[in-house]
Amino acid sequence: MAYRGAGGHGQPPSAVRSRVSPGSLSTCRTRTHNICMVSDFFYPNMGGVESHIYQLSQCLIERGHKVIIVTHAYGNRKGIRYLTNGLKVYYLPLKVMYNQSTATTLFHSLPLLRCIFVRERVTIIHSHSSFSAMAHDALFHAKTMGLQTVFTDHSLFGFADVSSVLTNKLLTVSLCDTNHIICVSYTSKENTVLRAALNPEIVSVIPNAVDPTDFTPEPFRRHDSIITIVVVSRLVYRKGTDLLSGIIPELCQKYPDLNFIIGGEGPKRIILEEVRERYQLHDRVRLLGALEHKDVRNVLVQGHIFLNTSLTEAFCMAIVEAASCGLQVVSTRVGGIPEVLPENLIILCEPSVKSLCEGLEKAISQLKSGALPAPENIHNVVKTFYTWRNVAERTEKVYDRVAGEAVLPMDKRLDRLISHCGPVTGCIFALLAVFNFLFLLFLRWMTPDSIIDVAIDATGPKGAWTRQYPYSKKGGENNEMSKPR
Amino acid sequence: MEDERSFSDICGGRLALQRRYYSPSCREFCLSCPRLSLRSLTAVTCTVWLAAYGLFTLCENSMILSAAIFITLLGLLGYLHFVKIDQETLLIIDSLGIQMTSSYASGKESTTFIEMGKVKDVVINEAIYMQKVIYYLCILLKDPMEPHGISQVVPVFQSAKPRLDCLIEVYRSCQEILAHQKATSASP
Repeated sequence: MAYRGAGGHGQPPSAVRSRVSPGSLSTCRTRTHNICMVSDFFYPNMGGVESHIYQLSQCLIERGHKVIIVTHAYGNRKGIRYLTNGLKVYYLPLKVMYNQSTATTLFHSLPLLRCIFVRERVTIIHSHSSFSAMAHDALFHAKTMGLQTVFTDHSLFGFADVSSVLTNKLLTVSLCDTNHIICVSYTSKENTVLRAALNPEIVSVIPNAVDPTDFTPEPFRRHDSIITIVVVSRLVYRKGTDLLSGIIPELCQKYPDLNFIIGGEGPKRIILEEVRERYQLHDRVRLLGALEHKDVRNVLVQGHIFLNTSLTEAFCMAIVEAASCGLQVVSTRVGGIPEVLPENLIILCEPSVKSLCEGLEKAISQLKSGALPAPENIHNVVKTFYTWRNVAERTEKVYDRVAGEAVLPMDKRLDRLISHCGPVTGCIFALLAVFNFLFLLFLRWMTPDSIIDVAIDATGPKGAWTRQYPYSKKGGENNEMSKPR
Repeated sequence: MEDERSFSDICGGRLALQRRYYSPSCREFCLSCPRLSLRSLTAVTCTVWLAAYGLFTLCENSMILSAAIFITLLGLLGYLHFVKIDQETLLIIDSLGIQMTSSYASGKESTTFIEMGKVKDVVINEAIYMQKVIYYLCILLKDPMEPHGISQVVPVFQSAKPRLDCLIEVYRSCQEILAHQKATSASP
């Protein structure tokens, strides 16, 4: 209540102007959605999923939707908070079990999540990340409550070891009756479709984006007398730190004017320190340790070449960030990486020390001969590739499609579970779904929906925070659009 | 001027809100819950006694029965004296401050007074309470060290927990008085 009346009445923000482009007028204003993003991973935890959720929500708010985020409490940060533009975040007091993922019993979160879904009048549940137990819980509850569900998968999985077999089974159960699934690259789509045995038609590909204004080149920050190779990644097995430890001595011997800057922290850091010790490279290999996201750009602009040695990657944000800073990118050809950048901006190698060294040498010789484009030019090309506005627009289309679909009624859902997930797992989860439904009936009897107060919208068409159209009460949505023009 | 309206609390129970306007600068809001009903009293007593009889048939010790009597009596007294709040009152006087009174079912009253100099604002906030997300009215206190900071949040109507429509009613009136107070203190 205290924030009511805040927000610009005077001039419509520039974002409003830009979205009234003639083509999108009819499509984007036909309906607005009440979207609830659910994931265990959100700020203050840092990472790709977190920034994806935040940026996507901001762009959806800009497009006139109502967005709320549900995550678990981080230390002292619990309860309800508001972020920029009235983005409402629920930090629920649920127990964290492992790696910032909450424990799941499939039932204990239903009362709170139901209360939030009802009071916010949510129509679409959008869960993120297959590692997040809360996201799967929310999907399960949303289907019980008859709400539309969308799921975004951010990572690739294997098929062979025991843990992936188990997670894949759970994913099959969780996604078999989800309305729509979003993947970040075609490789990731293929992976998800195979893992969860899905119909490919309900899987869309929407890549991640970077904020190009955060990653601008600054050529005079780097020394042109020497060549600097930058590596920014977590130092773990998945990111290929072992390959890196093989590349460093080989190239340092060959090129006396070559330096390495390595940003990131992880259990494999010790290998790099060993290499540095053994070959006496203390002045040429700098280990920066853990970097905050805002410092990444300042590290990137110090280099000429960006090296990515990942062994598996759904969509590599790091190489887009590096290219946006005007660096030549050398990367392994794994997962979705070949889809990310056009051929002239990236040198792709096999994930082996030999191949990566060849790639780096090619980049170095191009650099020395001056054949590489200027950082400013690379930046200008890359910044048009992946923008959050574009991601939001495409996600909105998914929402529009999902909103027109019917949610499976209980009997069909049970049929689907039993027929789709195998006789044993299917029956177990069908039983759990029935229990969940009974629990929901019990909760509805304890506190009927009519007793739960409807929350005051902070965002969306009737948002108290971003009330862009003071006259929106009088007319319909078309009216509301035409007046500011 | 005095009027009474009926609202409901977050669990669906009935609440009565009495508003007394003594003068433009002094208002009183009084939220009263229904009194302890005979039915719930009987239900609780019966369960305790049935449990006691069950134990008694098992171990055949008459101490259990007398203990049950004491437990119900003491429990009832304790509940009426320390837990059950019948009425919560918020009295706001613009030049003086805000007084919150809660009267227990036994007749005990506890009063808190906050002087106007310490009050920063009265707002409606959201919180996660048990397995629900609820709205509540609270008073923000100024931090004496820092002029823009908040040192403490004092919730109002803590036991009655009225729903949003009732809170908005009280909030509007409080804001009127606070605005009045600010206007008068700004132009002496």
